[in-house]
This record gives sequence, C-alpha cells and structure tokens, in this order.
Amino acid sequence: MHTDLASHSGLRRLLRALPEVAQQPYGYHEFEQRALERERAAREAGDRTRLVAAAIVAVAVGAVLLRLIAFAPQPPSAHGAPAVLPESQLPAPSDDSGARAVAQERWLASLPREPALVHVGTRSAVMGLQDRIAQLDDLLSSERNGRAPPARVQALQQERARLVGTLVRVRYAETLANDIP
Amino acid sequence: MSGLVDIEVPGEVLALARAGDRPARQAIYAAVAPPTLTLIRRLVGQRALSEDLFQDTMMLFFERLPQFRQEAPLGAWLRQIAISRCLMYLRSPWKRARMCLEPVDFGVAAEVAALVTPGYAGDLIDLERALASLAPTARAVVWMYEVEGYSHQEIAREFGRSVSFSKSQLARAHARLRAWLEPQDERPSCTLI
Repeated sequence: MHTDLASHSGLRRLLRALPEVAQQPYGYHEFEQRALERERAAREAGDRTRLVAAAIVAVAVGAVLLRLIAFAPQPPSAHGAPAVLPESQLPAPSDDSGARAVAQERWLASLPREPALVHVGTRSAVMGLQDRIAQLDDLLSSERNGRAPPARVQALQQERARLVGTLVRVRYAETLANDIP
Repeated sequence: MSGLVDIEVPGEVLALARAGDRPARQAIYAAVAPPTLTLIRRLVGQRALSEDLFQDTMMLFFERLPQFRQEAPLGAWLRQIAISRCLMYLRSPWKRARMCLEPVDFGVAAEVAALVTPGYAGDLIDLERALASLAPTARAVVWMYEVEGYSHQEIAREFGRSVSFSKSQLARAHARLRAWLEPQDERPSCTLI
C-alpha cells in the first residue's frame, strides 16, 4: 500500500500531495476585529504591568522608610520629646529658631554637669562639643565688640545653634542610656 | 512547496496595500490567508493554536508591509514570517510542553477532508495521521525540508541549532513515518521522538 515510502522521494511526493487543511481562515473583517482586540489587550496588559511595578516600588519604599524610622534615634526637638523625660525638662516648643536654641540650652543647663554614669563613647564627644561652643562664644563676643557685620555674627550664631543642637542629641542619648536598667 | 510562494499580487494592489489602502489589503488577505493558515496548521498541528499564530503572522505581515522591498515574491516573504512565528513558538520550552499535552487533530481534519474532497486518497489520510504522531519539532523539520524546500543549513538557522540537529530530526521522523505507514500489528503510541 505504501511502497512509495520506501524511497525518500516517495515520501516527499506524498507530503506535497496533501491537500489544504479543511480549516478555513476567517474573513478580513474578523481579522481586523481580532487585531484590535489584541492591541487593546496588549495595551491593558502593559498598563497592568506598570501599575503592579509602581505598587511594588511604593511598597518597597514604604518598607524602607518604616525600617529607617524604626531604627533612627529619637533626639529631642523643638516639636516635642519622648515621654521618658519629665515635662519640665522638655525644650519648649517654638516656631522661632532663637527661642528653640534658648530652650535647648535651658534643657542642657538642667542636666547635671557630669552624668551619673560616664559613658566613654559619649564623653569625648560631649567635651569636644562643649569646647567648640565655648570657642564660638568667645569669638562671638569679640566679633560683637569689634562691631563685625551683622551677617558674620548671624553666621556664627547659626553655627553655635547647630553645635548646641548636636550637644542636645548626644546628652539626650546619654540620658536614655542611663535610664536603661 | 506551499501554495503561498506561487501567489502573485498585482503591483498596483501591492502599492496600495503598502500605503494602507483597506480594499487592497483585503484583497491580499483573501489571496494569502488560506495557504498561510494551511502552512501554520501543518507546522503546529492544533487548530486553536494555528489560528492564534495565523493572527500573529497576518498582523506582523501587514505591519511590515510598508517595508517590503520586493526582493522576493510576496508569498515567500509571508511564508518566512509565518515559519518564524511558528518556530518561535516551538522553541519556547513552556509552550512546547503545553503542546505535548494537547492532542494534535490532523487525523480528524484528514477525515473531514476525505469527506469533502473528491478523490482524496486513503493513504494520504494515513499520512496525515502519521504526521500527527510526530513531535512538533520533528513535524516542522519534515515539513520545512520535504515540502517547503528548506536546506538543512536553513532549518538549523531557523531553529538556532546545528545542522546535525536538523539531519537527525529528519532521519528519525522518516523512520517513524515509515513505521507508522507500513502494515504492522502495533503502532508506536508515544508522540515524542
């Protein structure tokens, strides 16, 4: 029955003699409809992908922020301090940076000159900051007496406020460490 | 070779179609769609999959038509697009695995063809069934080599494989077709070779 298959050319001839498949393609109108549907589906899939990617990025950023906030130290600020400190020791909230600096200094002054428990790690930092603040105070006095330009005085005051802020943070951390049993 | 290569499209119709003229594209579609679908169906076997790949092929064909440089007949160019789309599908491991799970329906198609085609020989029905028994890759290699006239080098390039891959696929497919078509008590049942 299939003697042709014994030869290579016989198989080729039979394969080429196969008729077209009975399945007929749909018409051009149907083709256009399907093409439009596919384009729409591809566009929607692209939108969905972008949406999912944006959601993933947002969740990742949120998670990183939460982690950073959870592990960040909580220094006292002009807008409030943690509840571990008595109300009387909190720097008074104020919108004015000068008032904030005064409040911070008042809080610093309320602390004992030497902590009950001396931490080696913070000791040198506190002393270094106190020395620099004292130097700045001297410089500020001499500039004021020498009638330096107001911009120069203001810059020195800002630098002093920054140092005081740093000292507040260090002392606050020291206070917290002392509170931990 | 499939009827696609023999299709001739008048130059003015082609020029209009390249410019996006809808009636011209419709005329070209009417001429090329049946042999294109036949070719795709021979390569991949399954009806629904063939329609998907046919749609892909025709969309790509019309999308690229403005860039057609007429260095080859339009049908040969379309055949190349169709074969590329089919082989891209066959090369995907995930899709190949899916194809193995779904039955190839050449046999049914052949019986239907026998009913509607006068003089349709019984041995061709057997050949249809034998083709259906081949793995998708082997079937594509046989069809490209024996019917479309591709060389082993061209087949290897299309599949991204070596020439020996094409030769071994063809030799094993031939052996399997002979085993299927020659009278015997038990026919092989596994479709993977």
